[in-house]
Amino acid sequence: MPTRRGFLAGLLASGLAPRASWADAGSPAYLAAAKLPSGAFALFGLSAAGGRLFEIPLPGRGHAAAAHPGRPLAVAFARRPGHFALVIDCVSGEVVRRLDTPEGSHFYGHGVFSADGGMLFTTENEFETGRGVIGMWDATGGYARLGAMPSGGVGPHELRLMPDGETLVIANGGIETHPEAGRLKLNIPTMRPNLSYVSVDGAVVEQVEPPEAWHRNSMRHIAVRGDGVIAVACQWQGPMAKVPPLLATHRMGEALDFHDLGMEKDVQGYLGSVAFSGSGEEIAVTGPRGGVAVVADADGRMLRRLEERDICGVAPGAEGFVFTTGEGRVLTGHGAAGALARHGCAWDNHLVPIG
Amino acid sequence: MKHVLAALLIALPLAAPAQEIREIIEEDIVGGFVALEEKTAAMVEAAGQDCTHPGLYDSYAAAFLAWARVSHLRFGPSEEENRAFALAYWPDPRGRTAKALRKMLADGDEAVLSQEAYADMSIAARGFYALDYLLHEEDLAEIGTAEYRCALVRVIVADIHGTTGELAEAWDAFAPMLTEPGADSPYRTEAEVLQVLYKSVSTGLEFAVDMRLGRPLGTFERPRPRWAEAYRSGLSLALLQEAVRGAGRLAVRLAAGDADVQARLKAELEDFHESAAALNDPVFASVAEPVGRFRVESLQTDLQEVREVVQVALGPALGVSAGFNSMDGD
Repeated sequence: MPTRRGFLAGLLASGLAPRASWADAGSPAYLAAAKLPSGAFALFGLSAAGGRLFEIPLPGRGHAAAAHPGRPLAVAFARRPGHFALVIDCVSGEVVRRLDTPEGSHFYGHGVFSADGGMLFTTENEFETGRGVIGMWDATGGYARLGAMPSGGVGPHELRLMPDGETLVIANGGIETHPEAGRLKLNIPTMRPNLSYVSVDGAVVEQVEPPEAWHRNSMRHIAVRGDGVIAVACQWQGPMAKVPPLLATHRMGEALDFHDLGMEKDVQGYLGSVAFSGSGEEIAVTGPRGGVAVVADADGRMLRRLEERDICGVAPGAEGFVFTTGEGRVLTGHGAAGALARHGCAWDNHLVPIG
Repeated sequence: MKHVLAALLIALPLAAPAQEIREIIEEDIVGGFVALEEKTAAMVEAAGQDCTHPGLYDSYAAAFLAWARVSHLRFGPSEEENRAFALAYWPDPRGRTAKALRKMLADGDEAVLSQEAYADMSIAARGFYALDYLLHEEDLAEIGTAEYRCALVRVIVADIHGTTGELAEAWDAFAPMLTEPGADSPYRTEAEVLQVLYKSVSTGLEFAVDMRLGRPLGTFERPRPRWAEAYRSGLSLALLQEAVRGAGRLAVRLAAGDADVQARLKAELEDFHESAAALNDPVFASVAEPVGRFRVESLQTDLQEVREVVQVALGPALGVSAGFNSMDGD
């Protein structure tokens, strides 16, 4: 007679078990990694109001996480150059899979699920060739490595799924690194960042890059609006006296537009994150090095500015945006006046919306 | 009275008064790049006589060390035109310097042998690390002709001299941006000047710990003595010492307004320099055997302690923020 455990295992293997949903994890609105006062690291589930719904230990400093579109699963990426990512069951708090990059590759810290949740795409560095690749993993069960495709450039950082569900948009930062040289940037004089649209079957559909004079404007983080407009947040790798605009927007088939927000020096040429507001009418970018976030309209015109130390994470929220800081704050777009919550941890770079 | 005193204390500058900043810029930064240019001029002269002459080695070592002394200053004119990279392309995990030079030697292409043409070469083929390889890699003697090798040495030396000349001139012209921050400068306030100087200390020390020492140390299972900087010419330890002298002196001067922090920095730097002087292993070749490894690791620990004081004491004394995200860089 089969045991109960054996029976359940069989059900799970055959995919017949009733599927847990994000509601079983308390219906978090966001995921965020953080450093705890003890010095340990954890992945948090946060409510729309910034409250802590769950907290799952991580073995080291995280960077970003990818949220499964339907099931309460999060993939937490180690900070680059990380060789593993953890698939975490946000209901039980358990690590259900560990993803290891193939020999000769490491993760860059971001990933995204396909629209149906069946595949996971990850940005990676194939470091002996210096080529950026997108790793593909079977997310239906075992997270087997399905293969990899070119990212269309060097140093792919954030990637997102386009609204068509069939195209990935990838910010190739252009910066070459090698694990033997740690986090050191090896090709600043010759770097060429780009924004690449790559179909999920591996074809490069379109690429745009900054003008030659701004070839050191590393395109790092991206946000996608429902109609396919992309907002790109850059990190300038050149002399501060020549800092160019750091926010760009793009729509497939059109030119890449850069938007001067008048705060490029204040943020020391470095944007941390970017998001569209829930309505899509506004774009927010964060500049942790200046303790500044700027909200612009969808055409890149500066609307208002928030001052908050070590502000970095940003995601769409009920009142436009929600921001997180390295000092534990969770804020609305109204800044300190709109403090939602304060936690005793340091929120890491990104605030990841669920669903 | 008590209240007046308290108010005065709060209003006092935390560290590094303006006069100190001025001296840092004039003496150590502009002065350091002028000294570098002078040393590379001596190298040009030595290479002109005979490119295998022992005098070339001495002037080359002196110029390379003068570079290490200012190598932590990677902003402003050093960042412009990729000048710092053109002098120092290292570490080079993909071996681009070796590949580029070996190809040139094998091809014997005369067209690259002018200073103008060489300034447009791939940065991996330029600068001190390329010269180090060319002068000291033993098996190069079998590639191409001795005349071509010699001509290549001369053009790299001339190119280095050209870059250092630009640097000396550009830093001299840039100095007022740092001494007079404001609307006409990329630095609007003294705080921003302190920040960029502080960052130079901090990244210079980080590079020394992680690259100059960390690369040869590798891991306990896999030490990498051949990953030491400029091991072919025997300059690894000397370059490390000079780099720490440069970044360390800047740290000490930045701490001028806080006697306690300054004393702690001086003490930690002294410990490091004593251990370094006693090491007796100029290229960290001993990292593969237990006793030698222990000594190189402890040198690295000494340097970590300098960094620790910089991070936890100097940064706050200068009012430089070191946030969780702002210092991450990703």
